[in-house]
Amino acid sequence: MTDQELARDLGFLEAYTIGLGTMIGAGIFVLPSIAAEQAGPASMISFFAGGLVSLLAAISLSELATGMPKAGGSYYYVNRALGPFFGSIVGWGMWAGLTFASAFYMIGFGQYLLPGLGKYIGFLAGWGEIGITVAALVMAALLTGVNYYGVKETGALQNVIVLTLVGLIVAFLGLGAASGPTIGTFLPPEGWPAVAATIGTVYVTFIGFEVIATSAEEIKNPSRNLPLAMIAAVVTPTLMYVGVMFVSTGTLSIEALADSPIPVADVATEIMGPIGALAMIVGAVLATVSSANASILSAARVNFAMGRDKILINWLNEVHDRFRTPYRAISATGIITLVLIAIGVGIGTLAEVASFMYLVTYALVHIAVIVLRRANPDAYDPAFRIPSVLYPIVPILGFVACIAILLQMSLIVQAIGGVIVVFGILWYFVYARDRALSQSLVGEAIAPEPTTVADGQGRYRVVVPVANPETERDLLRMAAASAHAHDSETAEVVAVNIIEVPQQTSLEQDLTFEETRVERQQELLDSARDIADDLDVGLRTHAIVGRNAGSAILDVIEEENADHVLLGWKGRRSRREHVLGSTIDPVIGRAPCDATLVKLGPEGGRATGDIMVLAGEGPHAPVAARRAREFAEAADEEARLTLFNVQEPGEDDDGLSPQERGEALIEEFVERTGLEEAQYQSRIEVAEDIEGAILDAATGYDTICVGATRTGAVSQAVFGSLPETIGERTDQTVVMARGPEESAMSIRQAIVRRLES
Amino acid sequence: MPESLFRHALVPVASPEDAESTMRALRPYVESAEGDVTVINVIEKAGGAPDKASVEQREDYAHKMFSVARDEMADTDCTPTTEIRYGTDVAETIIETAHEINASAIVFNPRGGNRWVRLLTGDVGLSLVSESDIPVITLPEPNND
Repeated sequence: MTDQELARDLGFLEAYTIGLGTMIGAGIFVLPSIAAEQAGPASMISFFAGGLVSLLAAISLSELATGMPKAGGSYYYVNRALGPFFGSIVGWGMWAGLTFASAFYMIGFGQYLLPGLGKYIGFLAGWGEIGITVAALVMAALLTGVNYYGVKETGALQNVIVLTLVGLIVAFLGLGAASGPTIGTFLPPEGWPAVAATIGTVYVTFIGFEVIATSAEEIKNPSRNLPLAMIAAVVTPTLMYVGVMFVSTGTLSIEALADSPIPVADVATEIMGPIGALAMIVGAVLATVSSANASILSAARVNFAMGRDKILINWLNEVHDRFRTPYRAISATGIITLVLIAIGVGIGTLAEVASFMYLVTYALVHIAVIVLRRANPDAYDPAFRIPSVLYPIVPILGFVACIAILLQMSLIVQAIGGVIVVFGILWYFVYARDRALSQSLVGEAIAPEPTTVADGQGRYRVVVPVANPETERDLLRMAAASAHAHDSETAEVVAVNIIEVPQQTSLEQDLTFEETRVERQQELLDSARDIADDLDVGLRTHAIVGRNAGSAILDVIEEENADHVLLGWKGRRSRREHVLGSTIDPVIGRAPCDATLVKLGPEGGRATGDIMVLAGEGPHAPVAARRAREFAEAADEEARLTLFNVQEPGEDDDGLSPQERGEALIEEFVERTGLEEAQYQSRIEVAEDIEGAILDAATGYDTICVGATRTGAVSQAVFGSLPETIGERTDQTVVMARGPEESAMSIRQAIVRRLES
Repeated sequence: MPESLFRHALVPVASPEDAESTMRALRPYVESAEGDVTVINVIEKAGGAPDKASVEQREDYAHKMFSVARDEMADTDCTPTTEIRYGTDVAETIIETAHEINASAIVFNPRGGNRWVRLLTGDVGLSLVSESDIPVITLPEPNND
């Protein structure tokens, strides 16, 4: 098993119980009184509709969560798809929603603890509203403490709580149904609008399944378990809620329900007697605590994800050195929860604001699915896709439903929710805009880049690492020349830029100080796109943050199944550990494809004009000729190709003159490269000092193409000492080329040996 | 003569500060024994309940500890191997790892803390000492001055 798998320890059952544990929370124990007051028995319809809306959200979320199983849930998906503007809104919205929900759960806890248990335990009774608030505050503080200190909670405990709750509710439903509930007037006096408005009130009971998405990184086999757990965690409680409303409104009068702080226990008294009521009270206490606990933990995960994406200061995400908990995020969530309880917003309003924030979130989640489907970024490959019969109906319907419920909610709730949304927007403009790492994919979704035919099927790809805006254009032009020489319909250039982060710093930490580098990276890649448009070549870009540029480039080459990698070189050998440079050495040494290293000469002579090809016996000389021909074809004005060869003076053993030997060699060379007669001239020189002769001749040309040699000096050179000397000693543009095979091994060995020495 | 206890030390670390002080204390022993060091951080899983912190967040944190540990040993011949492990029982996971890598000893720095804190957060040190069948060495924190 890999580490990745070991880090995942939640199976279907665990994920389902986590979802249930949050779903069967205060909602079902507290809301029956509020819901009954607003909509009477018809509030069953409200609960059912809320369940349906959540089911739509669960389906969209399942696709997103399996496509991007990262901490943060909905916030992360929206930020990724719609950019940091909506990311700020949803991040703050979810966080606010979770704190409002925690406060709501805690007041529910207080109601069941004091007026509820007060019937059985004398001193708990008669404390009134103040008592409930104090109990809620104490419990919220306690939960914050528990999570601050990271007190270990086990899966076994979680399962016991959830099983107890499910058992209690099933017993309640069974006995309740057997007692023959009678439903009076089904519709409330206000009619259907009241039923619709009540969906907004009760929606808070349905935000729990989001916990499954925020823990996506911990779920085993997420493609199967995640959607199943989410759907099950929505359907089960929905049925329970509808049942509880049926029993409650059928047993007690609407007035009695509406006045009760502990509606479920009061109903239980009727159908199960005082023991049943006590059991329900204990259940409610457990449920409210477990829901609030999960909400506080989820809120800290949202904070972490926002910090990771630079939408929030990372200070908040410091891990405690002893308890290993995100103690600041936990404390912040806890403090706001305490404030919300203390200021007495009212339990109904707390619930509705939490609902509001989550409805806004899910509306955007539905949009995020559509945007990601259309933009189809490379990294997005969800294991669970919304089945084609349901797409795009589910996200569209889900979005419309969320908006419709939002519009139905009361003015005061819309106002509070609106303030939180505006806060998110202001936060974006004041803080996040200049820092956020993500970019919206909406543009790509509206006008998707043509994704041509299937991958790797004979498409010619040239990978070009770019780092310098001054050389970028020429490198891309040369890469485009190579791409065009192959099937120009589908050939493409892949521009890569890597921000290197030293070993000592974490990738995330370092980025905080590296905003300017991130900006430069974006500018560089943006201008690469402009250049590619000018050159009329397909271009894709990779912006990478990594430890090591060399291995990052090799990863891209492998991932893209590239045919050719083209790099720029400053023209100076490296002083100590490396031959040509710490990035160039491994790439040229290990790339399993054609590799070209370019040292750019003066402008106007970069792979155009007079091009000299060193026609030698080296295994890669023909590759150099191929590159030269590609450049010549691309620079369709009068680029001239010269095949150049130097011979030592004197006749050889076969009695051939140097001139004859040179001609024979070029003839053979042309045969190997497939050049045509009209495409080149040949030039043969005779000299004792071959290297000197080449260097002298080179000054008469604009560009020199040379293949990798395999000389005895291989261990000091990546391309061979001759090409590298030419590169270093001439002012012209020098193109060093090698093919994919043969030399790769020995170059690799050379580098390994070189690095080890 | 039995092999040196520092032939291959397994060093569980819990925070960057812990990594720093443990490696500083361990360093002279490893140098004189010319031994190897493996540094691990165990990410505690709740095993069915939501974790106290995101896995990703704690992995980042572990990498911070590792780079501190490597820095501490940078000018010696020994380059520590680093590993993240996941488990519901931290002490048990450490002992399992020690067997897997054939460690000669588990070395850690006792982290103090009062009884209540230990009770709440679990006393890994005590479990290691009482459960391990591989030698366990606790190194006192060296003086900083």
